[in-house]
Amino acid sequence: MEFFLQPLTLVTFFPLLGVLLLFFLPSDKKNLLRWTAMGFTLGTLGISLWVLELFNAPNPHLQLVAKYDWITVAGWNIQYHMGVDGLSILLLLLTTFLTPISIFSTWTAVEERVKEFMIFFLMLEIGMVGVFLAQDLFLFYVFWEFTLIPMYFLIGIWGGPRRIYAAIKFFLYTMAGSGLMLLALLGPGIEGKTFSLPDLISSGGIPTNTQFWLFLAFTAAFAIKVPMWPLHSWLPDAHVEAPTAGSVILAGVLLKMGTYGFLRFNIPLFPQAAVDLAPWMALFATIGILYGAALAFAQSDVKKLVAYSSVSHLGFVILGLFALNPEGISGAILQMFNHGISTGALFLLVGMIYEQTHTREIKVYGGLWKITPVFGTVMLIVALSSMGLPGLNGFIGEFTILLGAFGSTAINNPWYAGLSALGIIMAAIYILTMFQNMFLGPEGSIVEELKKRGHVLRDLNRREIIIMIPMLIFIFWVGLYPKPFFDLIGPTVDNLVAALQTTTLALP
Amino acid sequence: MPPINFNDIEVLLPLIILVIWACLLLLVDLFIPKKHKWLTALLAAFGLALTLGFTLSQLGSESNGFCATGKPSICMVVLDGFSVLVNALLLLTGLLGVALAYGYLKRMGIERGEYYTLMLFSISGMMLMAQASDLIIVFLALELLSLPLYVLSAFARSNSDSQEAGLKYFLLGAFSSGFILYGIALVYGATGSTSLSQIFEIASVGTSSLLLTIGAALILVGLGFKVAAVPFHMWTPDVYQGAPTPVTAFMTAGAKIAGFAALLRVFGSAFPNLSEDITPILWALSAATMIVGNLLAIAQTNIKRMLAYSSIAHTGYILMAFVPYGNPEVAPVSIAAGLFYLFAYTITNFGAWGVVIALEQKESKGLQISDYAGLRRKYPVLAGAMTVFMFSLIGFPPTLGMVGKFYLFRAVLSGGYTGLAIIGVVTSLVSAFYYLRVVVNMYMFAGEPKTDNEFWLRFTIAGAALVTVVFSLVPQGLFAWASRAVLKLF
Amino acid sequence: MLLEYLAIAVLIVLATVVALIAIGLGGLFGPKKKTVNKSMPYESGMMPIGPGTRRMPVRYYLIGVLFILFDIEVVFFLPWAIVFRQLGWFGLIEMVVFVAILLVGYVYAWKKGALEWE
Repeated sequence: MEFFLQPLTLVTFFPLLGVLLLFFLPSDKKNLLRWTAMGFTLGTLGISLWVLELFNAPNPHLQLVAKYDWITVAGWNIQYHMGVDGLSILLLLLTTFLTPISIFSTWTAVEERVKEFMIFFLMLEIGMVGVFLAQDLFLFYVFWEFTLIPMYFLIGIWGGPRRIYAAIKFFLYTMAGSGLMLLALLGPGIEGKTFSLPDLISSGGIPTNTQFWLFLAFTAAFAIKVPMWPLHSWLPDAHVEAPTAGSVILAGVLLKMGTYGFLRFNIPLFPQAAVDLAPWMALFATIGILYGAALAFAQSDVKKLVAYSSVSHLGFVILGLFALNPEGISGAILQMFNHGISTGALFLLVGMIYEQTHTREIKVYGGLWKITPVFGTVMLIVALSSMGLPGLNGFIGEFTILLGAFGSTAINNPWYAGLSALGIIMAAIYILTMFQNMFLGPEGSIVEELKKRGHVLRDLNRREIIIMIPMLIFIFWVGLYPKPFFDLIGPTVDNLVAALQTTTLALP
Repeated sequence: MPPINFNDIEVLLPLIILVIWACLLLLVDLFIPKKHKWLTALLAAFGLALTLGFTLSQLGSESNGFCATGKPSICMVVLDGFSVLVNALLLLTGLLGVALAYGYLKRMGIERGEYYTLMLFSISGMMLMAQASDLIIVFLALELLSLPLYVLSAFARSNSDSQEAGLKYFLLGAFSSGFILYGIALVYGATGSTSLSQIFEIASVGTSSLLLTIGAALILVGLGFKVAAVPFHMWTPDVYQGAPTPVTAFMTAGAKIAGFAALLRVFGSAFPNLSEDITPILWALSAATMIVGNLLAIAQTNIKRMLAYSSIAHTGYILMAFVPYGNPEVAPVSIAAGLFYLFAYTITNFGAWGVVIALEQKESKGLQISDYAGLRRKYPVLAGAMTVFMFSLIGFPPTLGMVGKFYLFRAVLSGGYTGLAIIGVVTSLVSAFYYLRVVVNMYMFAGEPKTDNEFWLRFTIAGAALVTVVFSLVPQGLFAWASRAVLKLF
Repeated sequence: MLLEYLAIAVLIVLATVVALIAIGLGGLFGPKKKTVNKSMPYESGMMPIGPGTRRMPVRYYLIGVLFILFDIEVVFFLPWAIVFRQLGWFGLIEMVVFVAILLVGYVYAWKKGALEWE
C-alpha cells in the first residue's frame, strides 16, 4: 500500500485506474466514456498539483523520491526509482495540464471508437508522466518506449487520410533512435553495476572516450524525438495526420521528452562530451531554427506550418540547453513549457476550425475575423505568443535562451545566437502572414462553400472557450510574471551547472 | 552382472513417466470412440502436468545417471538445474501445444488420438536432449524428437501442403542427422570417446586437433538445421507453413528449445576449448540469421510464413546468447539470458500462433495478413492479445520480449560483442515493420474475420497475453531461476 | 601397420584388373550381331507381357513394414540370449521393457486393422 500512496507513483499510475474502469464501460455510452476519462485526467492534474504543493523549490535535489528494488538478481540492479526536481516539475505539470485539455477538445471531434480513444489517451499519459519522473535508466526506457504504442494507435486510427503511413513512419523513426539508446544505456549500466541515474552521476568517471559514443547514441534517440534537423522528417507527417488531441500532445509533451532527455541524461551523465560537442549541437540547433522557420513560411497547410514552427522553436530549446549556463538551461526549460502551451493552443485552434471546414489549406480561408471575432482574437494572442512578442510567454523563454547562448563559454561563438535571433524575426513573418491570410482581407472561398452546404461558420462555443481560457492564462502569466516559474527551475539548474563545472575540463 | 541402479532411474524419472504414459495413451486411445477424443487430449495434458510435477520436484537436485562401471565421471545422462529448467519449459510447451491443438483438429477434421501420443514422444526426446551427457544420447534424443515431428508435420494427410511439409522436413531432417552423426564420428576419431566430459578432458590436454574442430563444426551444422539458423533455414518456411498450425507452434518452440539445449550441452561441456574457432562461426550464424530472417519476413503476406521467418529471426537472437559460450566470465550471464529469452519467446510465440489458429479456416483459408482486417471490431480481446504478442516479438515494453532482449543485449554487450548487439537492435527495428502490419490490419482496416469459440484456445491466448505482460513487470523470479540453472555449467 | 593390409590391397587391384581385362577383351574382339530378341531385358525365356511397373496392393507395404519391425526384434534377441546368464535379472528386465514396447506397437497395429487383409 505504501508503494501506491507515494505521490509520484500515484500521479503516474492514477490514469491506469481509468484505463481499467474504461475497459468495463459499454462502448456506446460515449459521454459517459468521455467524462470518465476526463475525470481521471483531472484527478491526475489534481495529484500533480499536490506534488507541486509538496515540492520544495529551493532544494536542488530529487524530491518525493520513491525507490524500490525491482530486478536485483544476477548482476542486475534495476530499481523502481521515481523523483522530481526542478528539471521535471514544470514538464510534469504541463503533461497533466494538457491531457485533460486535449481530451476536452475531442468532445465532438472524436465520435468513432471513443472507448479505445480514451483508453489510449490515458495510457499515453501514464507513459509521459513516467518519462518525466523516472530516475532509473531502465525504468525510463520502459516508459519512453511505452509512449510510442498509444501514440501510434492515436495517429493510425483517428488520423487523416495518410494516417497509416504517418503512424508507421513515426513509430520506426522513434524506435530507431531508442534502439541505439537501449544499447547506450546498457553501457553505463554494465560498468557501473547500476541503472540508477543519480548513482551513475555521482560515481562519475565514465571515460571520456566512452562518453563521446554514449552521448551520440543517446543523442540519436533524443534528437529524433525533439526533432532536431536533419532528423525531423517524421514530424510534419505525424502532425498533419494526427487528430487534434494527438497533435496537441505530440507537440506539447512528446517532443519535450526529447529535449528533457538531453537535459536529464546527456548533460549530467556525459558532461565532458556535452561540453566538447556543445558547439556542434548549437550548430545543428541553429540550422534547425532557420530551416524550420523557412519551411514553415513555405507551407500552404496550416498544420504543417505549425509543425515546422515546432522544429524551429525546439531548436531554441536545444541551443539554450547546450549553452550550458544557468540562463540558457533555465530559459530552455521554460521554453519547453511555453512551447507546450503556445503550440498546443495553436493546434487546438486549428483543430477547432478544421472541425467545421475540414480543410487546412491556408489559401481557402480569409476574412475570418469578421465572422468569428472571438476565435480571431484568441488566435492572434496565441500567434503572437508563439512568435515571441514581449509581454507574452514566448518572449521570456527565447530571450533568456539567447542571453545564455550569447554568453556561453561552451558554445563560444556568438554567431549562433545572432543567427538564431533571426529565427524570431522569421517566426514573426510566417506567423503573421498566416494570420493575415486566414483572418484578414477578403472572405475566403471556404466561407462560400460552407454556405452552399448550408453550414454557417460559427464562432467558438462555450466548451472551446473553456478550453482556451487556461491556455491564455498561462500565456499571460509567464509573459508578465515569470518569477514563480524560474523559482521552480532555478536551484536545480544552478546545481547542475555547478556540477558541470567541477567535472569537466573545458568549462571555466 | 550389472546391478540395477535406482539412482539411474531417479535421474530420468520424469522422462520415464512420460514415455510410459505415452505408451499407455497410445493403447487407451484405441478404445476411445471418435466422439470422445477430448478424453485423449485431457489424458495427454494430465500426463504432461504429472511429468511437470515430477520435474519440478527435482529442482535443486543434481546427479549423474547410467555411468560407466567404476568410472563415475563418464555418464550417459545428467540431472542438473539446467535440465530441470529446460524440461519444465518443454513440458509447458507440450501443455500449450495440447491446448491449442484440441479445437483445431476437430475443426479441420483431422482429429486423431495419435496426435497427442506423437507429441508426448517428441517431448520425451526433447527432454532426453536436455539431459544428455554423451554424444550417443544426443543423437538418440535427436531422432526420438524428430521422428514424431516428421509425422506430425504431415498430420493433415489430405492436405498436400502438409504432406509436402512432412516429406521436406523428413528429408532435410535426415540430412542434418547425417551431419551430426558424421560430426560425432569425427569427434570420436579425434578423442576416442563420445562422453562429453571425456572429450573435454582429452581435448584440453593435447594440442588442438583439426579433426576435432571439423567434427564440432559438423555437429554445429546439424544443430543449426534443427534450430533453423541461416544458412540452414531453407526448409523452415515451407514446413512451418505446410504443417498443421498447432504442430508449427509446437515445433517453433519445442524443437528450438531442445536444439539450443543440445547446443549448450555439447559445446558448453565438451568444446569450450574450441571457442576460439567456434565463436566467430556462431557470431556469423547469429548475425546472418537475424538479418535474413527479418528481411525475408517483410515480404510475406501469409501470416504463417511471416511467423516462420520471424521464428528464424528469433533463432538469431537466441544464438547471440551462445556466442560467448567459451568465456567463463560472460557465458553464465549470457546463457541465462538465452534461457530467459527462450521462455519469453515460447509464451509469446504460442500466443501468436494461438491467434493464427483461432482465425484459420478449412482449406488454409484465413491465413493472409489481410484476413486480420477488422479483428478489433468483432473480437477486441483477441486483437488486443495479438497486439501484445506482436509488440513482445518486436521487443516493446511492457512485454516479456522487451525484458528478454534487454537481458540479452546486456549480456552480449558485457561480452564485448557490440557489433552483434547493434545488428540485433537494427534488425529489431526492421521487424517492427512487419509485425506492425498485423496490428495495422487489425485496428485500422475494416473486415469481417471469422473465428469459432473454442474455450481452451481462448483461455491459452488470454493466459499467454497476461503472462507476457505481467512477467515483464516482475521478471525477478524467472531471472533468478535462469541464472541458478546455468550456475553449475561453467 | 598398414603393411599388413597390403595383401588385401593387392588382391583388390588384381581382381579389378582381371575383370576389366576380361570384359574389355570380350567387348573388343567378340562378334556383335544385334537382333530384337537380344536387346530384350530377358534375352532368353518368356516374352514380357504388360507394363514393367505393375501396381501392387498397398497392403503389401504395410505388411512389409510390420514384418521388418517385428523381425528386427529377433536380431536383438540373439546376442541377448548369448549373454543372458551374465546379464542376469538386469538383462531380463531390460528385455521385458523392450518386448513391452514392441507389444504396445503390436496391439496398436492390430487394433488399427493393419493385420486384416480386407
